[in-house]
Amino acid sequence: MSSESSKKRKPKVIRSDGAPAEGKRNRSDTEQEGKYYSEEAEVDLRDPGRDYELYKYTCQELQRLMAEIQDLKSRGGKDMAVEIEERRIQSCVHFMTLKKLNRLAHIRLKKGRDQTHEAKQKVDAYHLQLQNLLYEVMHLQKEITKCLEFKSKHEEIDLVSLEEFYKEAPPVISKPEVTMGDPHQQTLARLDWELEQRKRLAEKYRESLSNKEKILKEIEVKKEYLSSLQPRLNSIMQASLPVQEYLFMPFDQAHKQYETARHLPPPLYVLFVQATAYGQACAHMKSSSQPPRQDKTLSVAIEGSVDEAKALFKPPEDSQDDESDSDAEEEQTTKRRRPTLGVQLDDKRKEMLKRHPLSVMLDLKCKDDSVLHLTFYYLMNLNIMTVKAKVTTATELITPISAGDLLSPDSVLSCLYPGDHGKKTPNPANQYQFDKVGILTLRDYVLDLGHPYLWVQKLGGLHFPKEQPQHTVIADHSLSASHMETTMKLLKTRVQSRLALHKQFASLEHGIVPVTSDCQYLFPAKVVSRLVKWVTIAHEDYMELHFTKDIVEAGLAEDTNLYYMALIERGTAKLQAAVVLNPGYSSIPPVFQLCLNWKGEKTNNNDDNIRAMESEVNVCYKELCGARPGYQLLTNQLQRLCVLLDVYLETESHDDSVEGPKEFPQEKMCLRLFRGPSRMKPFKYNHPQGFFSHR
Amino acid sequence: MDRVVPQAVPLGQMEVFQALQRLHMTVFSQSVSPCGKFLAAGNNYGQIAIFSLSAALSSEAKEESKKPVVTFQAHDGPVYSMVSTDRQLVSAGDGEVKAWLWAEILKKGSKELWRCQPPYRTSLEVPEINSLLLVPKENSLILAGGDCQLHTMDLETGAFTRALRGHTDYIHCLALRERSPEVLSGDLRTAKEVQTIEVYKHEECSRPHNGRWIGCLATDSDWMVCGGGPALTLWHLRSSTPTTIFPMRAPQKHVTFYQDLILSAGQGPCVNQWQLSGELKAQVPGSSPGLLSLSLNQQPAAPECKVLTAAGNSCRVDVFTNLGYRAFSLSF
Repeated sequence: MSSESSKKRKPKVIRSDGAPAEGKRNRSDTEQEGKYYSEEAEVDLRDPGRDYELYKYTCQELQRLMAEIQDLKSRGGKDMAVEIEERRIQSCVHFMTLKKLNRLAHIRLKKGRDQTHEAKQKVDAYHLQLQNLLYEVMHLQKEITKCLEFKSKHEEIDLVSLEEFYKEAPPVISKPEVTMGDPHQQTLARLDWELEQRKRLAEKYRESLSNKEKILKEIEVKKEYLSSLQPRLNSIMQASLPVQEYLFMPFDQAHKQYETARHLPPPLYVLFVQATAYGQACAHMKSSSQPPRQDKTLSVAIEGSVDEAKALFKPPEDSQDDESDSDAEEEQTTKRRRPTLGVQLDDKRKEMLKRHPLSVMLDLKCKDDSVLHLTFYYLMNLNIMTVKAKVTTATELITPISAGDLLSPDSVLSCLYPGDHGKKTPNPANQYQFDKVGILTLRDYVLDLGHPYLWVQKLGGLHFPKEQPQHTVIADHSLSASHMETTMKLLKTRVQSRLALHKQFASLEHGIVPVTSDCQYLFPAKVVSRLVKWVTIAHEDYMELHFTKDIVEAGLAEDTNLYYMALIERGTAKLQAAVVLNPGYSSIPPVFQLCLNWKGEKTNNNDDNIRAMESEVNVCYKELCGARPGYQLLTNQLQRLCVLLDVYLETESHDDSVEGPKEFPQEKMCLRLFRGPSRMKPFKYNHPQGFFSHR
Repeated sequence: MDRVVPQAVPLGQMEVFQALQRLHMTVFSQSVSPCGKFLAAGNNYGQIAIFSLSAALSSEAKEESKKPVVTFQAHDGPVYSMVSTDRQLVSAGDGEVKAWLWAEILKKGSKELWRCQPPYRTSLEVPEINSLLLVPKENSLILAGGDCQLHTMDLETGAFTRALRGHTDYIHCLALRERSPEVLSGDLRTAKEVQTIEVYKHEECSRPHNGRWIGCLATDSDWMVCGGGPALTLWHLRSSTPTTIFPMRAPQKHVTFYQDLILSAGQGPCVNQWQLSGELKAQVPGSSPGLLSLSLNQQPAAPECKVLTAAGNSCRVDVFTNLGYRAFSLSF
């Protein structure tokens, strides 16, 4: 009810005291300045605190009046109406006050907001300014560092040291009184001095150049003179030839060889030089003690066409021309049938395995006038050397069947050094080349090309690393020199031992063990056991024998060795001996494995004495070598086996239960029959007394 | 192809000689050090090699630990027999006895401590010594061999105190009875004439084609086992009668009692284990074609090295960590 009444009253109140309010609303457009009552201005004058007090007071009043009105109304009564009316008027006044206060509050709020906004904008402006300044500072700092980092060109120039500068530069440039204290001036002065010096040096350089030119011209002139001298000298040489021949002076021949040697490829050249040198050294050593002889132990010669060798070194454009020519020809001839892939590959292989047209012949003469002919080749594309060997003897040999391999060119030099069988290329790089043209192994070509033994490479001064491929291999004289003497000695020993074996085999095949007179003391006079068979066997057959397992397992049965089978008999006893002959005979002894067929089969596996017999010939071989260099070893070992078999059979204990005489009566003198835990028989022969004892 | 061809290691002169030497090597004797951790083995070239059992048996054993720790040339001829006292290694072979200090050997010094030769009658050939036997009670050493006699040597003074004669052929082996001071020696008869057993005369065990020699001998209280030319036989000594004849064709070279078993070895690559009743309990293959000596390491000082080792006609000494199989081989 009260709210309703206040609504009704509102316009009245506005009208009654509201002329200014009306003016504000209606005439604001027409009279803006003049009589305009500015509530905004009033706001500034009033104190907000007191307005608040006023607001509080007005509210209390209003509450109080409302309470009174309610009180009066509840009391009811007609006279109350006036009082109520009066109170209502009072409350209206209060409402007016409230409204006024409300407006003021609004204006104040707005003002506050405006002020805040203004301040905010100001702050923003300041902030922007600050950032600008900061950026500027940064830029300036950057500029400063740039300046500081500046490098002058002069810092790269190497200047003479300070002391030197003051010592050498003229005072006009150095100006010590100015520059001593001022590093800047000092540097400038030093630069000046540098410039000055460089100018002088440039001048000098120019002078030297012209000097050089002059000298070159002089050389040219002298060369012309010399070359004109050459034909003249040649003609003189030509003229002197008959005289040389007449006087037995082979200067020219040697000279010619040296001339040819120039066209040798480097490894062959190294070989040639070293072999010649070695040959001469040997000849000198001999000639110092003996009268000079015509035959040398080592002679060296060069074979092959020099022209072809020269052609190899033609300038490349010539060969290209040739090639294109030949290509053109080839095209013409084979236009219709193009070469198949296989033929092309074949050609490539041939090209790869091509050897240098020149080769070096080495003839090594042994004491008994047999000669080892060695021909060394150089495979240009593989960069390895190969050798072919041939042995000629002074007297014609009857070749025994079993000695077939002994002097064959294929095997005579095999394993001159341990493991060097010459069937594998020593240059590790070759394998990659082979892969390209489909060559599986050099082994298939060895017969044709010769063997690439390691020692051959060493004689040619070629040194290959063990495993890693390396393409630059240079021929080295010192390597060749260091190997020359030992290799030559080994070669000689090899040939002699092979020839000795050759002779021995010839007898062995006829069942004769050819004991030489100087080795007779090693054996008793009477040997009953006889060699009845001596044949060569294949490596595979040897490997399959049941009693050679130990040797195979010990790695002593390589396929480079030669294998033989000997059969020694006495009565019903048959002793088989499988022999491994190392190519390094006689420094490496032949190895025997035994199998005795007598009262059952006996090998080292089931009979200690067979084992002892094997060790007698295999381990104690040194006493069987005879006179140095021991080429008779094989024969002596076989003879020893015969003796051992005699001892074995004669000392075998006789079985009492068997009737009849012993098959092998004891003829050898023995101190004791058995000795030691393994009951060894007395296998050791004591020479002058002629009895047998234990080792 | 060149690079695929299997290449054996190329052998030079020295290598071939060494390979042949190894191939023809025979290990005759073995002896365990007093500490139980080392094994000495003597071969036919007169060398003694010392192997470290503890290193070879350890879990991180490499191939090198199966090679000798030290090898030295002890005799000119084969080393047929070795025994160890608590400080010394005594070795014998070609007629001479030599003693080496274990401590010195392990420090790789191999200077002999003493050497002596039994009083032999002069002869063209110096008789060998096949067997050594320690008698701890008397502190003496008994040696026997090629001269058909037993020589007793006082270890204190180094003097030969006694010579027992009676054998008609050379003596292979010796054994000692613990209870009574009797010495049994293997050949045709036992010595000192306490008792003579002529094994070959008993038909059940004689094998005329093999000969009469006794190659091995072992005793355990009243029991003796011996073999060689005649078959391996268990004897009861008080009654001197054969109890069990073991069915083994090959001559036996070494026999020993072990717990309730008899271990024997000889021709053939196996260590044979027998029940006393004559049953063959097991045949354990080794790596040598023939065995000459067995050695049981029972030193209480090194229980971890309790192994059986067997050596013979090869450069290898087989090691059995238990009786069932060969664990590995030590090699010269």
